[in-house]
Formats: sequence, C-alpha cells, structure tokens
Amino acid sequence: MTGAIPSIALVGNPNAGKSSLFNALTGARQKIANYPGVTVERKAGHASFADGRPISLIDLPGTYSLTPASLDEAVTRDVVLGRQEGEKRPDALIVVLDAANLDNHLCFALELLALGLPTVVALNMLDLAERDGLTLDPERLSRELGVPVVPTVAVRKRGLVELLSAIDGAIQSHQPREAVAAPRNDVSLHQRARAIARVATVDETPVRRWTQRVDRIVLHPVGGLVILLVLMFVMFQAVYAWAGPPADALEGLVGSMQQWVVATLPENFLRDLIVEGLLAGVGAVVVFLPQILILFLFILLLEASGYMTRAAFLMDGLMARVGLSGRGFIPLLSSFACAVPGIMATRAIPDEKDRLTTILIAPLMTCSARLPVYALIIAAFIPDRLVGGTPVGLQGLVLFGLYLSGIVGALVVAFVLRRTIAKGSAAGFMMEMPRYQMPQWRDIALGLWQRAWIFLRRAGTIIAMTTVVLWLLLSFPKAPEGQSQVEYSVAGRIASGLEVIVKPIGFNHDIALALIPAMAAREVAVSAMATANAIDADGDEDAMAQSLGERLQGKWSLATALAFLAWFVFAPQCISTIAITRRETNGWKWPMFMVGYLFLLAYAAAGITYWTAVAFGLG
Amino acid sequence: MIALLDKAPLGVAVRISRIDWGAMSQDEGRRLREFGLMEGCEITPRHRGSIFSRDPLALTVGRMQVIIRAKQAAAIEIEPIAA
Repeated sequence: MTGAIPSIALVGNPNAGKSSLFNALTGARQKIANYPGVTVERKAGHASFADGRPISLIDLPGTYSLTPASLDEAVTRDVVLGRQEGEKRPDALIVVLDAANLDNHLCFALELLALGLPTVVALNMLDLAERDGLTLDPERLSRELGVPVVPTVAVRKRGLVELLSAIDGAIQSHQPREAVAAPRNDVSLHQRARAIARVATVDETPVRRWTQRVDRIVLHPVGGLVILLVLMFVMFQAVYAWAGPPADALEGLVGSMQQWVVATLPENFLRDLIVEGLLAGVGAVVVFLPQILILFLFILLLEASGYMTRAAFLMDGLMARVGLSGRGFIPLLSSFACAVPGIMATRAIPDEKDRLTTILIAPLMTCSARLPVYALIIAAFIPDRLVGGTPVGLQGLVLFGLYLSGIVGALVVAFVLRRTIAKGSAAGFMMEMPRYQMPQWRDIALGLWQRAWIFLRRAGTIIAMTTVVLWLLLSFPKAPEGQSQVEYSVAGRIASGLEVIVKPIGFNHDIALALIPAMAAREVAVSAMATANAIDADGDEDAMAQSLGERLQGKWSLATALAFLAWFVFAPQCISTIAITRRETNGWKWPMFMVGYLFLLAYAAAGITYWTAVAFGLG
Repeated sequence: MIALLDKAPLGVAVRISRIDWGAMSQDEGRRLREFGLMEGCEITPRHRGSIFSRDPLALTVGRMQVIIRAKQAAAIEIEPIAA
C-alpha cells in the first residue's frame, strides 16, 4: 500500500442506513460539495483507523444496481468503476446492507463484489432486524460472500471500530484480481441472493406487522390525507408559535450590537455604514433563523422517520392528475425549505419531461427565504388573535394560505405545462417504501447544523454585500436640507422609475426600492427596507425606536401589504434558483422561461389581490 | 380467466405468473426486477393511493414494501397461491 490516505466509499441500496453509518463514522467532519460537471451532491468526510492513520470516506447515492436509472445512480456507478471525472477510484468499498432485507440488498452486493475491490460488508440496522424477528449468522454470510461481514447499528455506534479494522485488513491483505464479469441483475442473481440470505438466516419468526399496522391508518385513502394535511398545518403553526422567544432574543442582540457600535465609534461614514447598513440589513434577516430551523426540523424528521415516502404515495394520485408523479413530491416538499436543493433532488425523477416540469414549478413552493418577508408583513398587518373561538391563530392561517396559494399555483402551472411545452407520456412512479424508524437526534442535529450554516453564510456574504451596496446607493448623493434622503439618492431615483410599472398593483416607493436588491435573494427585501428605513429615520429618536413592522404599518395600506404578499408567492427573485435551473437544464432557455412566467404570474396575482382588497374598502 | 395485479384484492398473497415486459419501458422493467418482482415470486398487495385516484399500489415482496403505478400492475398477471 502507498502512503496516500486510503479512500473508502460507502455504497448500498436506498434505505440501507448508509447516511446514518456515514454520519456515525465521520461525525461532523463532513464536506458537502458537488461532483464536477454534474450537480449530484458529493458527501465526503474523514475518519481514522484505531491507530490513528487517517482515511477519507465518501457516501455514494443509494442505488439498486450498477445499471443507473437516474443521474445520481450514474454517479455511484462511475465512482466505483473509477470513471467519474475528478474522483479517484476508491481503494475499498463498504457495502451497506439492511439486515432485515437481505434478499433484496444482496443482489447489489453480489454485483459490487464482482468488481474485485477490497470490500467489507456492513450488516446494518441489525437491531431493527431483530425487532422484526430475524436472527442472522454474520459468519455464515461472510463465508458465503468471501469477504468480512461486520454487524453494525449505526445509530448506536455499534460495530464501527470492528468495521474500520476489517476494512484496514481487507486493504492490507488484498490480492489484486481480475474483476469477473458483472452478474446480470436478473432472475438467477435474485435466486443466488435469496439462497445466500436463506442460509445466513438462523431463525425467522413471522414478520411483526408493526409498520403495516401504522400504514393501515397513515395510508388510509381518506384518513391518510387528513393526517398529512394536519401535519403540514401543525408544521406551519409551529413555525410561528415556537420561533417567538429565540427570534426576540436575536433581535435584542442585534439591537445591543448597534448601540455598542454607536457608543464606541465616533460619528462618521464607517459607523453609519455598520449601524444603518450592515447591522440593520443583516440583522433583519438573521432574526428569521429560528423559523427556518423549525421548518427544517419538521422536514428532516419526516424524512428520517420514513413518513416522507408515505406522503409521496398519498400525493401521487393528485400529482398524476397534473402529469407529475409522487416522486416529485419530495423535491417539491424540500423546496419549501429552499428551491435549490429541491431542484437538485429532481435528479431522482427518471422521466425527463416530468423532471423539467417539477424543476419549473419548484420555485412556487414557499421557500424559507420568503418566510422573513411573510413574517414581517403578517406580524405588522394581520392581527395576532384566534379565529372565532378556535385555537387557530389568524397569523398562522394567513401563512398557511400563502403556502397553499403557491401549491395550487404550482399544480395549475404543471397541468398547463404538461399539456403544452412539456408534453409527454404519463410519468411512472416506482419507489421503495422504507420501514418506520425512530429519527436519530445526531442525524437531525447534523442536518440542522448544515442548514443553519448555509443560511448564516448567505447572510454573511451575499446578503451583507447587497445591503452594503444598497446602503451606499441610498446614502448618495446627499440630499439638500429639507428633502428626503431616500427619495433623493441614486436608489430612490431608480425606484421611482420602477414605481411607474408597479404602481397599478398597489406597490409604493418602499416596495419598488426593495424589489431591486431582492433579485439576489428574496429575504434581502426585508433587509433593504430595514436599511432604507434606518436611513430615513436618521437622527429621529422616536422613529429609530420603532420596529420595521411598526413603521410599515404607518405607511402602507392593508391592500398594499396583501398585494406585496401575493407578489412574493410567485416572484422568481433568487439568483441561486435561476443559476441552479440553468445548470440542471443545461442552458438558458428554461431558466429564462421560468423567470418570465413567474414574473407575469406575480404581477397578475399582486394586481388581483390589490384591486380586490381595494374593492372591499381596504385600500 | 387471467387475473391482473391492478385489480387484485388487498391483503391476499398471490404469485406472479407472467409479466408483460413489453407493456413498460426498459427502465421500468429493470426497476421491477431490482425490486424482486419477477415471474414466480409471491407478493401481497397492501394499499391503494388516496381518494384522488386510488392509483399507486403498495405491495410487499419479501420483507420489502414497494410502490408501483396501476399501469405497471396491469401488466402483471397473478395466480392464487395453492394452499
């Protein structure tokens, strides 16, 4: 063996518990990037053997065989065959098997073993198999397969040391041999797999139908949908109910930082830039971290428990009506957190037209970047009270309505697209339904940490930068005495131009001003308004003391606020989404189309909302 | 009379007697085989989709539960398991 750090790939079927094993082996020492040229997520991390020698681990996308049906499955094949550009062939493989599903998972394992790389089999989730009434004989399995088999329970960190020492041994003692012809994934391979599974199984009591008992309720044709709706409703209520105190604390923190800077620095250009530009702008966005984390917490829990596939199953019928498949439900639900990972997740959709349509409607799912905008406007304009004697909060209800508008809009758009430009045969929907599992706090915490980090990094870079640029545009040229600085500034003049276009739909100068920098990212609209208001209030103690929401209350009508909300349900204001769409569709055609149709919808929706509200006397 | 999987009653184990591979795309056929759905194997239909269309069909094969669409299920002929 050379002195280089050995690289080891984890590979296995979907639902084999690969990611949990990867998390357990590498802890937080992970790096998530993309494979060059393709946008499949590459998860790499570090670990070390018992004696301290470092190793690098990569977690490959789960697949059923080396014949790929989708883009991420192709990456798995190319990496293990050493064909993936920019990725060296792994020195060894850890083949992860679900101990409770040997029949099926052994097929892929046999295919991988034929490659002739040093290999160790991790017999994972052994505890769940035992719960299911299975007793397995790992040694017998090892004899049958001709490679070490290590029982592991990733979530309890059982078997990890043994696994690493087995892989060490496999690399040291490996005799290079010719890869034998890959077995065809057909009847004979399945028979071989089943025969091996049979001899490795010591005892098998009839399956305990725990999962099936739950499924009878959760997948009920009517009851299941009710449960799904209730779950989503609770999720959006929780985003409001739980985020209050931590958000207030963050707001207080930003406030005291501003005061500290004011007290410490002499009054000059730099102090204004920090207080009015950077802190006011970035602070206004960072305050929404708790809400974003709560939303992600729900999504991660639903994913880890195995419920997400049930939701896809329930939604497939409805999605088939508009020409999509239940497969698209998971990317679309992820888009509630952020359209970028959502659009990336569409790679699991095999049908091209189905995939394109899903990409084009993903930005209609209300992503977390809209939350700051929604939260600000709702808190300022929708009274915080319960709806007629029920425990349902009116603010949460409005938020729910906004999410629902996005969903309904997406379904209508998909329906139209699938009958016009993305016409094609009905998409298929084939998926494995995992067992229910207790979500592991470590995996959830790691996932939350990664999301929080991505959000804060955005706040620290793109949002900080746009706020500073906006502050400069708002501060110059200096207005003469008696004139509004915001109106007089460069940004103010640009906004006045834009105002002509958006005036018919009820948008005022504030909004026109916020829309321009919000092209970079939606939440910038909030920081932009915060910055503009901070400059506007310069020196006015009373105005400074008011929160942004209170200031907007005084300046906007309810109709304008509602129109503004409707606008953000549709408006494609996110550079990252446009960029990822370009990359995923290999060209500018579809992202341009997406931006165009979304702006049209946004304009129409805001207009209709505004005119309706005015007609009801809310103008 | 030939019985097809898409019309099969839920909860009753059946054996796959024939699959019309020509009725589906190559990828769909391969995924079916990867799930272990082949001639001769025993399966139990478990659930049908929601009231929207009752379309996707969840079935158990071995210790695995998989989802397929009624369109593919209609290409799968089944027979009762001899007692």
